[in-house]
Amino acid sequence: MRPGGQPGYYPGFHTLEQAEFWDEATRKVVLERVRRHEGIRFFAPEEAVLMRAVCDRILPQDDRDQEHKIPVLEAIDARLFAGRIEGYRFADMPADGDAHRLGLIAITEIADFLFGKRFESATGLEQDRVLLTLHDARPPAGEAIWRQMPVDRYWLLLVNDVIGAYYAHPYAWDEIGFGGPAYPRGYMRLNDGDPEPWEVQERRYEFAAPSDSLSGIFTPIGRGNRGGER
Amino acid sequence: MSPQAPLLGEFGAPPPGHRLGSNQQLDMPMRRYRDSECVDYCIVGVGSAGGVLLQRLARGGFQVVGLEAGPFWDTERDWVSDEAGSHQLYWNELRITGGENPLALGANNSGRGVGGGSVHWAAFVPRFHPSDFRVHTLDGVGVDWPIAYADLKPYYELIEREMPASGPPHFPWGDPHGYPYGPHPLGGNGNILVTGCTRLGIPVCIGGPVAILAGSRGDRPHCIYRGFCIQGCKVGAKQSTLISHVPDALAHGAEVRDHCMAARIELGDDGRVTGVIFFDREGRERRQLAKAVIVCGYAIETPRLLLNSACPGFEHGLANSSGTLGRYLMAQAGNVVLGRFDELVRQYKAPPAHALTEEFYETDPARGFARGFAVQTVGPLPIAMARQFAVAKGAWGWGLRQVMMDSNHWGAIALLGEILPWEDNRVEIAEEKDRHGLPVAKVTFNLHENDKKLIEFGKRKVMEIMRAAGATEVVQEDRYAHLVGAARMGSDPRASVVDAFGRTHDIPNLFICDGSILPTQGSANPGLTIQALAARTADYLIREGAAVFSGGKHSMEAPPLRRDLSPPDTWGHGVPTMS
Repeated sequence: MRPGGQPGYYPGFHTLEQAEFWDEATRKVVLERVRRHEGIRFFAPEEAVLMRAVCDRILPQDDRDQEHKIPVLEAIDARLFAGRIEGYRFADMPADGDAHRLGLIAITEIADFLFGKRFESATGLEQDRVLLTLHDARPPAGEAIWRQMPVDRYWLLLVNDVIGAYYAHPYAWDEIGFGGPAYPRGYMRLNDGDPEPWEVQERRYEFAAPSDSLSGIFTPIGRGNRGGER
Repeated sequence: MSPQAPLLGEFGAPPPGHRLGSNQQLDMPMRRYRDSECVDYCIVGVGSAGGVLLQRLARGGFQVVGLEAGPFWDTERDWVSDEAGSHQLYWNELRITGGENPLALGANNSGRGVGGGSVHWAAFVPRFHPSDFRVHTLDGVGVDWPIAYADLKPYYELIEREMPASGPPHFPWGDPHGYPYGPHPLGGNGNILVTGCTRLGIPVCIGGPVAILAGSRGDRPHCIYRGFCIQGCKVGAKQSTLISHVPDALAHGAEVRDHCMAARIELGDDGRVTGVIFFDREGRERRQLAKAVIVCGYAIETPRLLLNSACPGFEHGLANSSGTLGRYLMAQAGNVVLGRFDELVRQYKAPPAHALTEEFYETDPARGFARGFAVQTVGPLPIAMARQFAVAKGAWGWGLRQVMMDSNHWGAIALLGEILPWEDNRVEIAEEKDRHGLPVAKVTFNLHENDKKLIEFGKRKVMEIMRAAGATEVVQEDRYAHLVGAARMGSDPRASVVDAFGRTHDIPNLFICDGSILPTQGSANPGLTIQALAARTADYLIREGAAVFSGGKHSMEAPPLRRDLSPPDTWGHGVPTMS
C-alpha cells in the first residue's frame, strides 16, 4: 500500500481539476455526487452500522484519509431508498432491498457461528473470513436465508452495489488513472497508453494487501450447490 | 481555481432550445393530434425501428403518432459524460429473469426514451451475411427467413448512408461491400484485436463498421473519441434515430408523444385493431385511435404488450394464434475477455466499437457445431470493468482495489456468438405488476448444446487472440449481448407471428417492426438490420397506401425502393457515394 497520500499509481492526478472543461450537465451530476450526502434512509441504524462494516471490506478504504473516503454506504442506501433497480430481478431472488436486509442477517449469523461475535466487532481478518464464505458460496450458517436466495447471486448483488458506488466517484478515477468526463473536449492521444496533456504518467510502486486481509488473492467465485458453468 | 482552466471560463449552459447533439437544434413546432382524431398510424416505441418508420411514414404523407414510454431527450441537458449518471437511458423497470442462464436486462440491452436502444448501443453496424437468411436450409438448424439477403441489401445500403456508417473501403465478409465514411483511428482495444489477429493470420477489420461519423456532416460533428458511446453520444457523432430520423419526422408532421406507456391494443368487432390504450405523463389512461398500429417495443416489451392485450378471440395474446408469440427469444453470446499488458493501454479512450473480425462467422463442420461468431472490441468504463473483474478474476476487497489500480494495463475484446432460436427461450407475463398495474415480463433463457459448444470454442479463440496480442494474463466473463426474436416473421402463420413485411398473420392492420421479428440473428449486431427492416416495411406500407386501412386484399410483392424518403442530404448527395 502507498503510505499516505492518494492511492494508486497516478500521484497528482485529480479529475475534479478538469471540471471546468466538462459540460454543465455532467459537472452538476459529478459534483453533486462529491458534495451532497443524504442521511441514511433505507437501512435502519443498526443495519447501517453492519452494512458499513461490510462495505469497508468489499472495497476497503483504510489507505484513504478521512477527507477522501468515498461514501459507498450512502450511495447504496440512496439507490435502495429510491427503489432504483437495474431493470430486472432474478426469478430466484427477492427484491434488491429485501435481499440486502436478508444478507445482513446471514452475515450476522455466519460471524456468530464462526467467531461468536458480531461482524462489526470482529477483526478485519475475521470479517474477511465471513465474507470469503459468501464469495466461495459455502456459507456455514444462515440456512433459512439461503433458502430464500442463492448465495452466489447475493454475493454479486453486494459486490456490484459496492463497485457501483466506489467507481462512480472521481476519487476512484484518480486512483485508477481514468480520465473521467470528456465532453466537449474529447481525447486525442488514443495510442500506446499515452496520457493526455492533462493526465499524468503512471508511477508504480509495490502494492501488497494488508496482512490482516484475505481479499488480496484471487480465487474463482463459488457457485454453491447450483453447479453449472462459470 | 484549477491550475488549468478554459481560456474563457468554465463551459456554461447550452444555448436555449431543444438540442440534439452539440450542433443540432430542434426548432420546429410539433404537430399535436387529439386523442379523438383517428390517425393513420400509431407507432408504439420510438426506437431504432420506430424512429425510422415514423420518419418514413410522415414523409409518405400519413398522419403518424409515436408513443414513447421514456423521455424525448434534450441531449445537452439530459445526458452526461458519466457512467453512473447515465442510468436513465436504459429500461430500468422491473422484469423477472430466469431459466438456467438468466439474462441481465436493463443497461445490457434495453433502451428507454426517444431513440430507444440506438441511444445506448455501441453502434457496430455489420450487415447479416447472406447465409443468415437460410440457416435451416444450409445447416439444418433454426429456421429460414421469409426473405433473402437480396431483399434487404438495398435497405442496408440506404440506411448505411442515412446513418452514415464509417468503416473500411472493403469489408470482406458476407456480401463484400464498402462504407461511405472512412475508418476511425484505433484505440487501445482495437490495437490489441488487430495485433492479436494479425499474429495469428486472422483477417481483421479496423475503424468500423460503426454508425459513428468519422467526418462531420451537416449539423452532426465527427467523433471526439471520448469513449462514452453507450452512455449516449452528447456529441451527436453516433447515430441514434433521435438525431438522424426523428427531426425529419417532426418536420413532416409526425407527433412524438413521450412519457406515454402503452397498456394494450384494442381490437374491434371486425377483427381489426382500433387504437392503443396508454398511460400518459400524468398517469392518466387515454386512448389513441388509429387506422393501423405498428408495435416497435423490442424483444421484451413487444410480446409483453401483445400478451397484455389478450381479449376474446385472442385469449393467449393478441396476434398469437400460432402460440409462438414470446417464443424463440435470442441473445448473442457476449463473453468479455480481459488481458493484462506490460505496457499501458488506457482502453477507455475511443469508441468501444471500432474493430472486429468475422472470420469465424460461417459454419465450419470441423468445429463440431453449427454457425459461428465474431470477435469485436468493447470498452468497459470503470464500474463495468470492476464488475467484470469481480466475476472473471473473483476479485473483491484489496484484490479488486489492486487490479483496478492496474486497470490501465488491461485491454478488453469480446465474443459475439450466434445463439440459435429455441422454443423454450421466451417472454411471458409475470404475476408482478408495474406502477401502472400492468403485468411485467418474465424472461426465460436456456443455452442448448450447440450454443454451449459455440461459446466454448469462441471464447477460447478470443482468449487466444488476446494472448497473441501480448497479454500476460487473460481472464473472461460469460455475458450476453442484444435481444431479438419473440415475435418472429415467417411465411407459415402456424409457426410465426408476422409476415415478411411485419404484418401480423392474424390481424391485417396490426404490424410489428423491431428486433423481435428476427427469426435468427447471425453473429452481427442487430441494430442496422432492425433499421433496414423498418425502412423496408415503410416502403411496403407506403406502396400499399389506403389498402392497409380498408381491409382489402394485400399484396406480398416487394415494394419499390424509395430513396427519395431519406432524411435530407443522406442519399445521392451530402455523403460520399459508393457503388
